[in-house]
Amino acid sequence: MLKLVVGVLGLTFVNAPISVAQQGIDPVLYEQGQQLYQENCALCHQDSGVGDPPRFPALSGNDQLGDPARIVRSIHSGRRRMPPFPRLTAEEISSLANYVRNAWANDFGGVSTGDVAAVLEGLGETGPMTSIWDGVYTEAQATVGQAVYSGACGICHGRRLNGAPEDPDMRSTPPLARARFLRVWDGRSLATLFEYTRATMPEDNPSSLTDQEYVDVIAHMLTVGGMPAGDDELQPDPRSLARVVIRPQP
Amino acid sequence: MATKGDHPGNDPKLKNEKGLNRRDFVKTGVAVGLGSGALLEPDQAQAQVAATGAQDAQNIVWDYEVDVVIAGGGCAGLTAAIRARDLGASVLVVDQNFDLGGRMLHSGALVSLGGGDPVQHRDMKGESDREGLITVAPAEAPEELDDSVDLLFTDLTDWSVVDPKAQSPYRYNERELARSWAENCPATRQFLIDNYVRFTRISGTHGGGGLSRARAARCFLMLGNKTDMKAGTITAEDAGVADPERTSSFAPVQMNNSSRSVAPNAVANGVALARPLEFSAREKGVEFMLHRRFDAIVREQPFAGKVLGITAHYSPRQHPETGQLLQSYWQNGNIDERRETVNIRARQAVILASGGHAGNPEVRSMFYPALREPAFPTSGIALQGPHGQDASALIAGLRVGANLAGMQQNVSYQTTFHISTRLGTRDAYTTMMPGHPTFGFRASAGVNVGNTGFEEFIAVNQVGKRFFSEVRLPARPGLSRYPGDGGAPGQGLKHTPLDWRNCRKEWVRQMYNYDHGLDAALAMNEGSQPPDYYSGPLWAVFDQDAVERTGWELRYPYVSDNGYFFKADTIEELAKKIEAGHEFQRVPLSYLAETVATWNGYVDAGADPEFEREADAPMSRIATPPFYALSIMVIWHDSYGGLRVNGRQQVVDMQGQVIPGLYAGGEAVGGFNKHGLGKGHVHGYIAGTHAVAEPSS
Repeated sequence: MLKLVVGVLGLTFVNAPISVAQQGIDPVLYEQGQQLYQENCALCHQDSGVGDPPRFPALSGNDQLGDPARIVRSIHSGRRRMPPFPRLTAEEISSLANYVRNAWANDFGGVSTGDVAAVLEGLGETGPMTSIWDGVYTEAQATVGQAVYSGACGICHGRRLNGAPEDPDMRSTPPLARARFLRVWDGRSLATLFEYTRATMPEDNPSSLTDQEYVDVIAHMLTVGGMPAGDDELQPDPRSLARVVIRPQP
Repeated sequence: MATKGDHPGNDPKLKNEKGLNRRDFVKTGVAVGLGSGALLEPDQAQAQVAATGAQDAQNIVWDYEVDVVIAGGGCAGLTAAIRARDLGASVLVVDQNFDLGGRMLHSGALVSLGGGDPVQHRDMKGESDREGLITVAPAEAPEELDDSVDLLFTDLTDWSVVDPKAQSPYRYNERELARSWAENCPATRQFLIDNYVRFTRISGTHGGGGLSRARAARCFLMLGNKTDMKAGTITAEDAGVADPERTSSFAPVQMNNSSRSVAPNAVANGVALARPLEFSAREKGVEFMLHRRFDAIVREQPFAGKVLGITAHYSPRQHPETGQLLQSYWQNGNIDERRETVNIRARQAVILASGGHAGNPEVRSMFYPALREPAFPTSGIALQGPHGQDASALIAGLRVGANLAGMQQNVSYQTTFHISTRLGTRDAYTTMMPGHPTFGFRASAGVNVGNTGFEEFIAVNQVGKRFFSEVRLPARPGLSRYPGDGGAPGQGLKHTPLDWRNCRKEWVRQMYNYDHGLDAALAMNEGSQPPDYYSGPLWAVFDQDAVERTGWELRYPYVSDNGYFFKADTIEELAKKIEAGHEFQRVPLSYLAETVATWNGYVDAGADPEFEREADAPMSRIATPPFYALSIMVIWHDSYGGLRVNGRQQVVDMQGQVIPGLYAGGEAVGGFNKHGLGKGHVHGYIAGTHAVAEPSS
C-alpha cells in the first residue's frame, strides 16, 4: 500500500519550488532541504507531505510547522513516534525547515540557520555516531531475534530475509538484509528503522510486538546481513538507536 | 510431448514422470472408447461409441458399487467424502496419486470463508479455540470480523472491482454459485473444526476471498512428542522443522512457525488441514483407491440419462530411486486394486473433485496458447505426478455433454500464471526438501532468490537472448481491491461495494502495475519452430561474483545435477551444457556468449539501452568464472475455468439442464473466481450434502 501511494502521489504532486524566490526564501537552502527531506522524511511523511495519518502525520497543511523551534526540537530529539536525527547540522535542519514550511500548500516563510543553531544549542550533546558495522548488538540477542522473526516476519520476508515469502501465494516483500536492504536504507539510522517497523509491521497487526522484540529482530537482521556482533545489546531506545547509522560495509 | 526429442538430431531423454504426454492423452481416450471426439456432434459421438462399444452402459460390468463415488481426494474431494459419509452414504474416493490431500497438502492452508463463520465469531469475542490452544490475542479488530452472508455475497459478486492488471474477475462470478457458496461458508467452517481442523487467529482475507472483511485463517498443529490428529500434535520431524534441509513423508512442504497467530510451538500449513481431514475420513469409514486415475464418466446414454459411475485406470506412482510402489502415509480404508481398468458404480452420485487443468498444456492452450509450452508445469508436479491437474474432470465432463463456465477467468488472478522466484527446480512453486518420497521427482529444492535476486543475473530465453528487464520479470499485480493494492483489512482502506468509482478509468490507470514480463518470456524467438513455435525454457545466467554478493547456496538439496542447474568455466561451455542437459532445451543457446559480452558493455557504460535496467537496480558484470545457469520457471498454478455447475454443485449441460447424478467442485469447476482452499471445501460440503439426497438406483 505504502509503496503504491509513494509512487502514484510522487508523480502527481511533487512540486517544484516555483514560488520560493518570490517568498524571499533562499532557493539553494530550499533545494537542499528537498533533497534531505526525500532522504530522511519521505519514508513516513511521503513526498507529497500527506503522511499516513494517524501513524505518520501530514506535514502539508500542518499548522504546527508555524513554530520553527518545534521543528528543530522534533528533528533533533524526536517526538513521540518520530525518531531523532541527531547528526543533522544546524544548516541541514534549517534547510529542511525551509522546505517543509514552504513546500506543497504550506506558506510559513523562511527560517535562518542562526535561529536553528540557537535552538540546537539548548538541546545539548547527543553522543558519538556509530554504524551498524561497529558491533552494536549481541549474538544472544540475535538468537532471540531469530525466534521472534520466524513467528512474526518470516512467512512474508522469508527465512533468508530476502523478501521471498514462505507461502508461494504471497507476493514478494522488501528484503531485510544484504545489498538491496543496504541500498534502500543507506544513511538512515536504526532509530528510523525501529520506529518505521514498529509503526507498520507486522502488516496484519502493526505494533503488536514489544519494543524489545522489535530491536531483537533488528539484531537478527544485522547478523544475517553480516554485521559483526559486539558486547552490548541493542537497546529499544530511539535516542541511542539514532546514533547508529545504516551504511554499506566500510 | 514435443520436447527436443521431437526435433531431428536430438535424443529423447524423457523419463517416465514428465508432463502430460499428448500421445498418451489420445491413447487414453481410445482406451475408453471415445477417441478424441470430445466435442463431436451428439449423433457422431454416439456413432463412435456404438462402433467401439466400450461404454455400453447396459452391458458394463461393475467392479465396485457404492452410494457415492468421488474422483479426487484433495480439498473438495475429502470434504465431500466426509460430508456424504456423515449423512450415511458409503463412499469411495479414487485418486491418481499415491497419497491423499491433493494440492491442499502442499498449500499454505489459508482458508478464507466468512459470512459470520465460527472463527470470525470466536475472534470477535476474543476467545480461544475450544481446546484452549490459542493464547495470542485476535489479530483483527472486531469491526473487521463483523460479517454476514449478504455482505460476503456482495463482495463475491461486486461488479465494480478490478485488479491492478485492470482485470475484473469478480464481475463474472455466477450469482447462484456465489450465493450458495456464501450461505455455506459458516457451516463449512464448523464442519472443518468438527473434523479435527484447528484454525489460527483470522488475519486478512485470501486473494479473491472478499474485499471488505477479514475472513482468512490458517490451520495449525502443536509441536509435541507424537503425531496425533485427535490431540492436534505433530513431532518436529514430521512437521519438517527439526532440520532446515529435511522434511518428512507426512509433510511434503516444511511447516511454518505460527507462534504469532496461535501460541509458542504452533506450526501451520496445508499439512494441518489435509492430514486431519484425511484422518477423519478414514476414521469414519470412507474408502480409498489410490494410484488410480479417473478418466471417464459412465452415463445411461452418452448425452442423456443418469450418471451411473466412473471408469478409472491404474496409475502407479513409484519411488523415483527404488522403483517401489509408493505407499500412502496411512493405510486404513485403502483398497489395494491393481487391475488396469475398473468400473465403479455410484448408486447415488459421482462427484468430480479431481482438480483443474493447469497441468495439461494442451488444455491450457484453450485459454492461453503461449502456455502450451510443456517446459512449464503446474505447481506441485513432483508431489502430484504427471496426472495432477490434468483436466480429467473437464475432459470426461465434456464427453457426457457438460458445459464449461468462466474460462476467461483463468487469466484474471495473480497466481494463475507467474514467474517464480524459486530458481533451479522444475517444481518451482513450493520448496520441497528431501524426506518426502516424491522429492526425487524434482531432485532439487530450488533457490528462492526473491524479487530482488533478479537484480543479480541476466535472464535469457532458449537462444540465449535477453528479453525483458530482469528486475521486473517476477513482479505480480496485486489483488482485486479498491482502494489500495491488496493489503490486509485494518489498514484504513474503506472499500465501498458496488461503487462505480472503484473501476473508473482514472483509478485503474493509477493502480495498474503489471509489467508483462511473463508475456515477453513466453514470446516467440529465433528458436521457435513450427508447428508449435514454443518459446522454450528460460535461464538465469550469472557468475561467481553474484554468488559472493548474494550468498546463494548452490549445493544439494537446493540445486542438483537434474538439468535445472549448470556450472561451467566459460559461457560457451555453459551454453553447451544447458543444451545437452535440459529436457526442454530444443535448440542451442547460440547468442549467449554475445549477450553476456553486450551486457558487460552495458554495465561498463552504466546504461542498458535494450531494457533500461539501470533505472531499477545496479548492474553487475558477468565475468568471474565459474559461470552458472539456473532455470527460471513460468508457473500455471490454478484453474478458474471449468465445468459449469449450479448452486448445488450439479454439473449442467450445454442445454442448461442438470446432468442427473453428477456433481463437481473445487478447481474442476468454473464460473466462480475465488482463489484457494475455501472454494474447494465449501464446494465439497455442498456436493456431499446434495449427493446423498439423490435417489438410489
